[in-house]
Amino acid sequence: MLLLEAFFAPFFRRYFYYFDSYPLVIQIAIFLTVVAIVSTVIAYASILYRRYRGSRHDKKIARINPLLDEILTESIILNDDLAEGKPVEEIPLPLEKFDRPRFKTPFARQAIIERLIHYRKNFSGDIGLLLRKLYIELGLEKESFGKLKSFKWDRKVKSLIELTAMDMSIADVNILPLTNSKNRELRAEARHAYIKLSKNEPFKFFDVVSEPLLMWDQLELFKIITTTKDISIPNFARWVTYSSNKSVVAFCLKLIVHYNQQEAVPSIIKLLDNKDHYLRSNAINALGKLKADEAEDKLVQIYSSQPLDCQLEILKAIGRMGTGKNLTFLRQEFLRSSDFDIRKNAAKSIISHKQHSEEMLGELLDTATAENKLILKHCMNPLIKY
Amino acid sequence: MTGANKEYKILLIEDDEIMLKVTERILLKEGFKVIVAQNGKEALQKVEEKDYDMVITDLMMPYANGFEIISKIKGDSYGANIPIIIVSSLGNEDSIMEGFRLGVDDFLKKPIMAGELLIRVKRLLARKL
Amino acid sequence: MEETIWEHVQDFFEGAVFVYGTTLLVVYALLAIMSLIAITRFKRREKNIDDEKMLGSPIAPGISVIAPAFNEGLTIIGNVRSLLTLNYPHFEIIIVNDGSSDDTLEQMIVEFELVKVDFAFSARIKTQPVRGVYKSTNSAYSKLLVIDKVNGKSKADAVNAAINIATFNYFLCTDVDCILEKNTLLKLIKPVMSEEKKRVIATGATLRMVNSCDVDEGVITRVRPPRQILPRFQEMEYLRAFVLGKMGWSWINCVPNVSGGLGLFDKEVAIKAGGYDHKSFGEDMELMTRMVRYAYDNKIDYAIRYIPITLCWTEGPSTVKIFMRQRTRWSRGLSQLMFAHIKMLFNPRYGRMGLIVFPYNFFFELLAPIIEFLGVIYYIVLICLGMINWHFAILLLIFVYTYSIMISTTAILWDQITFRYYKSWKEVASLCVMPFYEMILYHPMIMVFALRGYYYFLTGKKHTWGNMQRKGFNTTAAKMATANNNNTQAVK
Repeated sequence: MLLLEAFFAPFFRRYFYYFDSYPLVIQIAIFLTVVAIVSTVIAYASILYRRYRGSRHDKKIARINPLLDEILTESIILNDDLAEGKPVEEIPLPLEKFDRPRFKTPFARQAIIERLIHYRKNFSGDIGLLLRKLYIELGLEKESFGKLKSFKWDRKVKSLIELTAMDMSIADVNILPLTNSKNRELRAEARHAYIKLSKNEPFKFFDVVSEPLLMWDQLELFKIITTTKDISIPNFARWVTYSSNKSVVAFCLKLIVHYNQQEAVPSIIKLLDNKDHYLRSNAINALGKLKADEAEDKLVQIYSSQPLDCQLEILKAIGRMGTGKNLTFLRQEFLRSSDFDIRKNAAKSIISHKQHSEEMLGELLDTATAENKLILKHCMNPLIKY
Repeated sequence: MTGANKEYKILLIEDDEIMLKVTERILLKEGFKVIVAQNGKEALQKVEEKDYDMVITDLMMPYANGFEIISKIKGDSYGANIPIIIVSSLGNEDSIMEGFRLGVDDFLKKPIMAGELLIRVKRLLARKL
Repeated sequence: MEETIWEHVQDFFEGAVFVYGTTLLVVYALLAIMSLIAITRFKRREKNIDDEKMLGSPIAPGISVIAPAFNEGLTIIGNVRSLLTLNYPHFEIIIVNDGSSDDTLEQMIVEFELVKVDFAFSARIKTQPVRGVYKSTNSAYSKLLVIDKVNGKSKADAVNAAINIATFNYFLCTDVDCILEKNTLLKLIKPVMSEEKKRVIATGATLRMVNSCDVDEGVITRVRPPRQILPRFQEMEYLRAFVLGKMGWSWINCVPNVSGGLGLFDKEVAIKAGGYDHKSFGEDMELMTRMVRYAYDNKIDYAIRYIPITLCWTEGPSTVKIFMRQRTRWSRGLSQLMFAHIKMLFNPRYGRMGLIVFPYNFFFELLAPIIEFLGVIYYIVLICLGMINWHFAILLLIFVYTYSIMISTTAILWDQITFRYYKSWKEVASLCVMPFYEMILYHPMIMVFALRGYYYFLTGKKHTWGNMQRKGFNTTAAKMATANNNNTQAVK
């Protein structure tokens, strides 16, 4: 209002002779009209400017990338020394090809980094190592490390992504504080980097992490853990037993299954007494996938006291174990239950017993109700996956 | 060795431009002839032309996905015995199983090792003889 | 005496309309600011992260893609094929042939080598009978499942049948003739998976007109704003509704509706809420409301999220007749919905839904056309009586006109910030001129069609199901309302 009085009012007075005599509503409306017109013009200008900037960026990239591709293909991908099996460390790189002003600008150096990452996404092995060597010899890691010092979290994230993509090791002092950052993205990226790059104890943060691991981060973690080559895989049972973080336990169960860590079975069985049904159903699922038939009797025993999700997991697990010991139990559940999902999963598990259950299956098909027969046929059809 | 590879034509299907170009160069250097297709549509055309001895294909592409292309190849008397390698960033069990069910010979997950790809290509071609 | 009563009525009316108009203007300004914050955040978060790297993950949650088809014989094969090329590690495609009278089903059977299978499912939502379930014998199409059902005269019924059969915990609802961006599933599941505490029950993204884009066998090769005027108005309106509106609401977790053209839903909540209502004319918003209601009733800390990028291209009606039918249907759906759930209005039990989303929809979506209409009448009466202060009226009209142009232009700018969708600045310019004509051409049309919808709602006219019209969103930017109503202020 003060602004209106001090600046705009005299302005309007000059052009609208009667401005002062207008009702307040009209005065405000006139003021806002001016604001709207100015904002619209600014919006047009920004659209044009952004488009100009964007297309200039695209053009620059379009100029640099073909040159880059040519050099990379010639001297890295089709490197003769590499083909002859020379160790990567001893292969000389034609750095002089990068020794021209076009490749020296910060923009170009960033473009080179991005391109190298893209190549490494497609090629591992010796080519990957040679790309990394080029990254180091061109001093590009300095650019990446520089970003880590930035105050902006997204710059830090970028730095971490580049460094992990290039397998550069980062000092623990630099990265550990970031694993507890308040910013979710930064925290997650720092953890990924830590797992991938830390030589000491890559899984240390499992011990301390208090907030849940998001599903999205689990995907990324899972991928990094399972694809990083020289990572030493611990026995994940440790966290299944000791971690109080639900999501860490659930995540470790998935890793146990992936690595088929049979030695973890006893600690998973202990989890069956856990109060949380989410954890129990995850544990049952893991036991089934590990074919841990020593748990089978216990599963049948606790079955009746479980909520639906755990019951379904038990039925699936028995099918996966496929011992045949509990076929009658499956049959009984199939015939007894009024719940569709229970019947379907029981049927699936009976069928997955293959020759063990052939006889029972024949008998069931002959005697079952129309609906149950349909369920059996559904589960037997190889075209239907689920 | 280079001479021996000359007669083989490899159909390379990949939608990432860099990956396509680079793999093509790698194969060319080994003396193979390479026919490239950058999307499902081009791939189906090239498959129709029936002039290849081996196929290397990606899975996720516009127009038609890799599985569809593979089934077209396998469904034809020309292509039924052609060796196929999948190179894809999809690496889950489902996709791998689906590939093998369609009769694919090998499955490589990106990032790949160029040397490994070449060895597999050569092995499959040798088996074909 | 009589005169004073008349004056009181006039004062009250003008006062109310003034408050109404001002609130609306403020809401728009707030939405613009909130959406900018949300978009900037989204951009900052996304720019470094390569979503495609999760493609290789074995632990990605499965998604069932549901697309109902009714007499789509001309395009069905290409559209299904295009759905099969989506980039995602774990999904199935469910096409529902909703009792087509053409050869939609037969074409699919031949092309995708389908056979009828014995399929057991529990019909947790009641639908018209399913005649058969088809799977392909060719494992290249193992992701495909086709349901053949008796026509249920609505998209709702068709989607419900697919929800019953869907395998996975999330389903994506779309239309068979929508063109999806290849990373749609990745992009829409991401907000679900990266939410810290809340349970995300639905996510959506921007929709755009496909009318003048270059499309080649179900793949968009070049994005363009529509050349025809009517669809181009719609493109602008969609941008405003999604990029500015929904993104702004998303920032405060107050999204009123996830569009039926493209939305990812939590299956369990959708089923428990009862699925789509086949009697509704705005089934998507109706389901969303019930899902939210269910969440409150069961103390689920829910969230509904929008992302600003465009993932779905849809055909916008290009003739006034079809456009009218679509908008009439939408406003009829809106009135139905408001009437059915009126208990939620200002009900603190339904938290932000009851206190923000519902009142907003009630006052600024439902009532807007009515108030606008009354405003126009009032204005005309005043002109006839010669009681109008032309000077002020014109000043206010100019104000509302420039303000509405500013908001629409802002939406276009926000969209450009999200991504440079059009290739040349000329195309952007062709969109930028639309707000100048909106108030005289497009908006009166929408207002009339909305009133028509309310009229049908009140009289309960039977709806003829010409075609399954999409209900993308629901924004009636009641700018005309404020234009006229503010002008009435000028009479004082």
